[in-house]
Amino acid sequence: MAEPLLRVENLKTQFFTDAGTVRAVDGISFEVHEGEIVGLVGESGAGKSVASMSLLRLIESPGEIVGGEITYKGETIFGLEEGPDGDLQRRDDMLSNEEMRTRIRGNEIAVIFQDPMESLNPVFTVGGQLREFIELNRDLAKREAKREAIRMLREVGIPDPEQRYEEYPHQFSGGMRQRVLIAMALACEPSLIIADEPTTALDVTVEGQIIELVDDLQEKYGTSFIWVTHDMGVVAEICDRVNVMYLGEIVEQAPVDDLFHATKHPYTNALLNSMPRPDRTVEELDPIEGVMPEAISPPSGCRFHPRCPDAREVCQRVHPEAKVVDQADGHSHRAACVKHDVFDAGYDESVPLEAEPQVTAGTPGGGEDR
Amino acid sequence: MSRASELGSEMTGEDVAFGDTLVEVDGLKKYFTQESGLLSGLSIDTDEFPPISVGRQHVKAVDDVSFEIRRGETLGLVGESGCGKSTLGRTILRLLEPTEGRISFKGDDLAELDGEALRQKRSEIQMIFQDPQSSLDPRMKIGQIVEEPMRAHDMLDDDGREQRAKMLLEKVGLDPHHYNRHPHAFSGGQRQRVNLARALSVNPDFIVCDEPVSALDVSIQAQVLNTMEELQEEFGLTYLFIAHDLSVIRHFSDRVAVMYLGNVVELAEKEELFENPQHPYTKALLDSIPVPDPRERGARGVLEGEVPSPLDPPSGCRFRTRCPRLIAPEGYEWTDEEWEHARTFMRAVKRRTFEPMTAAETRAEFFGGDLPRGEAGEIVADAIDLVATDRDNGDDAELEDGVNWAGATERLLESFAEESICSQERPDYEIEPQYGTGVHRAACHLHR
Repeated sequence: MAEPLLRVENLKTQFFTDAGTVRAVDGISFEVHEGEIVGLVGESGAGKSVASMSLLRLIESPGEIVGGEITYKGETIFGLEEGPDGDLQRRDDMLSNEEMRTRIRGNEIAVIFQDPMESLNPVFTVGGQLREFIELNRDLAKREAKREAIRMLREVGIPDPEQRYEEYPHQFSGGMRQRVLIAMALACEPSLIIADEPTTALDVTVEGQIIELVDDLQEKYGTSFIWVTHDMGVVAEICDRVNVMYLGEIVEQAPVDDLFHATKHPYTNALLNSMPRPDRTVEELDPIEGVMPEAISPPSGCRFHPRCPDAREVCQRVHPEAKVVDQADGHSHRAACVKHDVFDAGYDESVPLEAEPQVTAGTPGGGEDR
Repeated sequence: MSRASELGSEMTGEDVAFGDTLVEVDGLKKYFTQESGLLSGLSIDTDEFPPISVGRQHVKAVDDVSFEIRRGETLGLVGESGCGKSTLGRTILRLLEPTEGRISFKGDDLAELDGEALRQKRSEIQMIFQDPQSSLDPRMKIGQIVEEPMRAHDMLDDDGREQRAKMLLEKVGLDPHHYNRHPHAFSGGQRQRVNLARALSVNPDFIVCDEPVSALDVSIQAQVLNTMEELQEEFGLTYLFIAHDLSVIRHFSDRVAVMYLGNVVELAEKEELFENPQHPYTKALLDSIPVPDPRERGARGVLEGEVPSPLDPPSGCRFRTRCPRLIAPEGYEWTDEEWEHARTFMRAVKRRTFEPMTAAETRAEFFGGDLPRGEAGEIVADAIDLVATDRDNGDDAELEDGVNWAGATERLLESFAEESICSQERPDYEIEPQYGTGVHRAACHLHR
């Protein structure tokens, strides 16, 4: 297979707080190929936003990327090596802050955030901001940049773009503001766009419009996306491949169809079972027990074991690294769960852990009578 | 207050049998006036004399809504932001003063009650809010929080209240030993459980839940929803469940009302509404939800445009300006296809979504070259001329690039949109249900 656009290996990002070290991202690896939409999905606190911001080296103190390697188009965004005194130090070929700012961010990798109001300056016109961005990044004259800005606004489906160019962000609805941000992200024709919960704040019909737009634009420009979300529905709708995160780790990685139809990790499975469905009536929801622990003191062994319905004694001891458990569509299906044979951790012989403390939902079969 | 203290231990809804109407809303309206400043009521129009006029504009947040809620059921109220669902919930509770209409609760008209009578009635109706963080006072212990409504309604003595609070904490799935903790020590899901316990403390019959789980993660959402269901069974509660999430609504409700721009556009039993939706807006909503199954990638983004302003909502059916099934105006002869082309063109002109081109190009783009026959065709031809780049519009400085968008829009809307039945009459029809036997109402002229 061709060299991926972006390769992340064993990335670790930690926050050094008074209460201790928060291991927000703890050794995740994934790839993004050209023209792909890759999902990064998880509940709040899973570390998905920290992971995506690490890719652009936008982590601020007290946070720091402490390990791993990020390679984009053959260039090193982040990498460490052992120095002469045995300490880890940044590699020479790592891009400088200056290069990250001028060449990578915006031009090569763009970001769309959840809240478009915070990403737009309220005291300048929408058109002015878009024009300035194009002017600076693409080296165009003011008039040309304006024409290009209006063209982009029309491209993302903003009606009457000449008129709206002169308006301020507060005069736009949430959906329209998100379109402006998409226009801005696309303006420099980047190869990769990181979309961090871009539709979460939007109404469902507007969300549908935005997903449709992204789909069309992606086809037209061939841009790759990293789609950060908590919504499995959106993942199913738009992603090609998916990474499921739990407490700083990627627990499952698979092509989208396999993730939903040949689920390999109990967490993914539990997540899918706890969701009410729009397309059919589910009589009983099967919630995941308890809450996600804090990343400051993750459970021993498998981090999901205290909430896992399949947990056995071995899960408390053995920490599973994601391994290939299946192949589909030329992509590997990875899961970090010792119940799969490749782990050879003695799961089958191990004693099941105490049953869950509370039984709220009936047996899965109970949901069928409608 | 002797009667009130009895309420602590018994159900109060015994006078209404399960399945009978507990709450009935009839012709309810809530208008807000825009009066944020001294001069806000003034409008200036230089074309008229005198150029300044005084007049208040009304935001018609809830406009003539009627439905009933039966004891023991959950009525789901779903709609997008700004449709008026929260305002409706608050108006029913009389947290907002209704502008018009009747809210009957166990036979009493809440809209008429005030003072002490209303205050007493409030022990029977409670509310749960979306944000579990801001609806709990951070300086109070959760025990006090749960006891607060009992104290306000003079229920039980100190010991009795504490006992009841602990009992309720256990019922909602919290450890009663946490009675002395402060809200910050709890997670979002647990805080929502404290809210539940507080709402239950005065033994209400009816609880309005405004987006109670939308701030929670999906796995926590399921836990809280299950608890709410158990409580409903145990305490015989009736819920008005307001949410924007159709999946949650489908799971939790018995009947569902769909709101759009201050109106209820469709109301039916859950299965009927989701499996046999009859209003184009409901259909569009259902088509837009991403289904958590990659094999079900389907139609989406089917709705064009945005919700109009509630200051000046469209006449007749409020959804007509975006409706994909807008009914053809009578008085013209056209095929379905011709009307569809004309409708698409009309909306494209109104929203100015295309770049002006020559008349022939516009014709080809929107009508495949052939205009509708007869009068309709002439009107379309006029409009095309107004927005075409190869027509001489003179030196009118008002026009952008010589294109008369406004003129074309007016011509098309006046001749077509305004003539449709959809803009002339407000629809309300009853439909034969395919699932179940409950009443199915749809506010759409397609069912005339």
